[in-house]
Amino acid sequence: MITQTIRKTVTLVAAFGILFGSQALQAAEQVKVDVALAKPYLLAGQKQTNYLRVGLTGIPINDSGRRTPVNVAIVLDKSGSMTGEKLRKAKEAALTSIGRLGPNDIVSVIAYDDAVNVLIPATKMSDPLVLRAAIERLSAGGNTALFAGVSKAAAEVRKFLDRQRVNRIILLSDGQANVGPSSPTDLGNLGASLIKEGISVTTLGLGLDYNEDLMTQLARKSDGNHYFIENSADLARQFGYEFDDVLSVVAQEVTVRITCAEGVRPIRVLGREADITGQTVTTYLNQVYGKQEKYVLLEVEVPAERDGIMRNAAEVNVSYVNMASSSPERIARAVSARFTGSASLVEANTNPAVMASAIEQIAVERNKLAVTLRDQGKIEEARRTLLDNAAFLSENAKKYNSKELDDYVGKNREDASHLDPAVWDAQRKAILSEQNTRQGQQGQGQARP
Amino acid sequence: MKPRLILILTLIVLLPLGALGWLGWRMAHQEREVMENRYREVLTGRLRDLNAVVQRSVEKHETELLRLLDRGDYDTGNLRELVRKSPFIHALFVLDSAGNRRHPPPEGPLTDNEREFLERSGQIWRDKQLFYRSSELAGKSSSHGWYTWYWGNGVNLLFWVRDASGRVIGAECDRSRMLSDVIGELPNTDPSDPNLQQGRIVLAGGDGVAAYQWGAYEPAPSEQPRVRVDLDRPLDSWSLSYFAPPAAIDRTFGGGMLFNLTAGMVALVLALIGLASYFYRESTRGMREAAERVSFVNQVSHELKTPLTNIRMYAELLEQSLPENDTKATKHLGVIVSESQRLSRLIGNVLTFARKQNNKLTVHPEAGNVDQCIVFVLDRFKASLESKGVKCVFTAGAGATVDFDRDALEQILGNLFSNVEKYAAAGEWMEVTSRQNGANTSIVVADRGPGIPKGQSERIFDPFYRLSNKLSDGVTGTGIGLSIARDLARKHGGDLKAVAVAAGARFELELLTPSSSQGKEPNV
Repeated sequence: MITQTIRKTVTLVAAFGILFGSQALQAAEQVKVDVALAKPYLLAGQKQTNYLRVGLTGIPINDSGRRTPVNVAIVLDKSGSMTGEKLRKAKEAALTSIGRLGPNDIVSVIAYDDAVNVLIPATKMSDPLVLRAAIERLSAGGNTALFAGVSKAAAEVRKFLDRQRVNRIILLSDGQANVGPSSPTDLGNLGASLIKEGISVTTLGLGLDYNEDLMTQLARKSDGNHYFIENSADLARQFGYEFDDVLSVVAQEVTVRITCAEGVRPIRVLGREADITGQTVTTYLNQVYGKQEKYVLLEVEVPAERDGIMRNAAEVNVSYVNMASSSPERIARAVSARFTGSASLVEANTNPAVMASAIEQIAVERNKLAVTLRDQGKIEEARRTLLDNAAFLSENAKKYNSKELDDYVGKNREDASHLDPAVWDAQRKAILSEQNTRQGQQGQGQARP
Repeated sequence: MKPRLILILTLIVLLPLGALGWLGWRMAHQEREVMENRYREVLTGRLRDLNAVVQRSVEKHETELLRLLDRGDYDTGNLRELVRKSPFIHALFVLDSAGNRRHPPPEGPLTDNEREFLERSGQIWRDKQLFYRSSELAGKSSSHGWYTWYWGNGVNLLFWVRDASGRVIGAECDRSRMLSDVIGELPNTDPSDPNLQQGRIVLAGGDGVAAYQWGAYEPAPSEQPRVRVDLDRPLDSWSLSYFAPPAAIDRTFGGGMLFNLTAGMVALVLALIGLASYFYRESTRGMREAAERVSFVNQVSHELKTPLTNIRMYAELLEQSLPENDTKATKHLGVIVSESQRLSRLIGNVLTFARKQNNKLTVHPEAGNVDQCIVFVLDRFKASLESKGVKCVFTAGAGATVDFDRDALEQILGNLFSNVEKYAAAGEWMEVTSRQNGANTSIVVADRGPGIPKGQSERIFDPFYRLSNKLSDGVTGTGIGLSIARDLARKHGGDLKAVAVAAGARFELELLTPSSSQGKEPNV
């Protein structure tokens, strides 16, 4: 029972489930919003759990050749461990990526070891030769002052901070942060603070020695991407994916507010940070990329109703800045549930896409639990959890005909067979990267070797 | 003479040099201390400037927070929106004028973030007095300020604003964000920055561990900073430290002190050496000239020796063949003989001196009678001494047959008697005493002449040293007689000394004369 409403509106118009005539005041919306319940038909007479999914798909900007200008800071680790091939590849990747920027873009390059060196302060992409020279001069040595590197990059991005640009820090590291704050919480807090300014941090973990908890936290909390790059030969490709994303941003400052109807209790948002106060759930995405779908999945508890009743479940308000028109836009949706005595009707109307998303997020949580168990040394329990998870995924993949889930089956099985100390280090990075990708619906560059 | 001169000249060079060096070192040392203090002041100044940079960053936060909080808007929804939007605010709380919490709403519901904040700041809610006693909040006058408390792994910062009605709104600032912004304001490690080529500045958190650092210098793990400055409130648990290698101080102040000192010393040494060598050349010029003279005479003497021997030999033959009554001819012949003897003594001295110069002076002891040798030499001088009215007394006491170098002894005695003849004839008296004691023979030659001035009794043995007084003026001599006499005596295992006496001069000659093993008849 989803009615799609396309409308640019300034005030929130109360939408009681249906009945807003499709009316486009302006056709150039950049985000397609799909709101759906996992089970639009519910069994009457009992309290039950349901999932509400808000899908946000970016519509590529029509005007070919035009795209959102970017303000990007590239932060390169030049600590001793980067010596040789790694640093060479990193330089190459950075140079190739910078080569894709245009004269309206802003770029800064920061290198860090135990101290930080701002190689190129934030500047318009005017002289590529100077950029090239500065990057090529880079040589490796020293420790890893990761926090300071990100801080300096943030300061550079802030010089040209503009909501009309894609403000992004791309951090490459191959080691443990060992100068300055180094806990995942500290970096996570920094990320959470940066996203409030519209700055996302994408983290690229290179090799097997970086701290994956720290790097995924930083990316997650700032709504950036995270890539696990085991081999430096893949650096250029992964940098490329990241720039694909950065250069395809169509909407920013995306706020999704779900207001549950009276009696419907919001329980939790799966896979994303969200504020739940009373009936209101608010979550925030820094940007939506063209052709990519991101979703917000809310678990709700629906009270018991009599057969035949149709009730309003929730109102969804999405606001964002349209990067094509540089103006704020608002989209309102509503969703309702119908109660029936027929179990088959419930089954027949179950939305497989929403269910697949819910299963995926639950599976990620189970996968996380397995990692916690493995971290505690309970290898056997972890293996059992992963295999159970694979079975759970496999069953649902068939049921909802989902390739995404089917894909994750194999990965959970693979995880289960890589719990031994000898291979765990690498596997843990791959696992965390995969979790992060699925929780944030990161588009490309899924980093499973 | 020479070693002493060299010693004196060396001292002339070294003493002032040492004194100057010590003074210079002291000055350099003091200068260094002054410089170190100034250096520390400069560094402290630099750190204070950086503290001001940090403080400006904090003030920026403060201004922003004041703008956001001081609006009298305590609506829960708006406060939540504020937390969601402001990058500086981690959480918010509101206390009414009675100190009761109004936000996060006591009756709920709370967001996760609010729940976590209440847990984190539990200490404040358990004992609100603790919070209210914080210096600025206690004063009624101030309307905003910082409150710090420790939780987790470091200091936490609260910024509070009190409105006219006494309500307090407080914001928990994100520690990571605060640090990140401070880092953003501080310099980075720019390799082209000359100030920090040789230094490192470290910003340390409350735990003393480096949170941010810049500068090209890498201090050793246990190295102490040159200076340390604590930051101002509210980050007073943080500090800035400056590390630098010892050489950095010279770079800062030009470092010329040591170089200047060294250069000065080198110049002084050169000047002193120049002066000393000038004095040395001046003082040895006389001796050098005399030595050149002797060297010339030495060459000539070799040529003179043979004709002189012939003259002496034929004069002596002639003396024997003269009729006894021809007194006039005998007398003239005596003058020829004695003058030729004097000449051969002179030549002998010159040749001996030359041998000594070439380190070829040796003695060749042979068995003989010392007294006979003395008598032989005395006989030669008798005529000329008596002609000047000098009476000779010889007390013989060395009659045993011993090993000695007869030529050397003749030369020594000849020089001593010749001196009496030249300088002490006015005393009209010469006494020669010989004595033997075991393997030692001692011979004393005393006169009643003017004697040797006090303090000169050693210097007369230096070659070419001439007592400069009226007596020696006008008296010819080479100035090497006593010198070679002593050298010969020493070669002979003994010595020649001038002994101070009440009147006149007294020379004591000691010779090592072991009793002859050959028992050979001495030839006289």
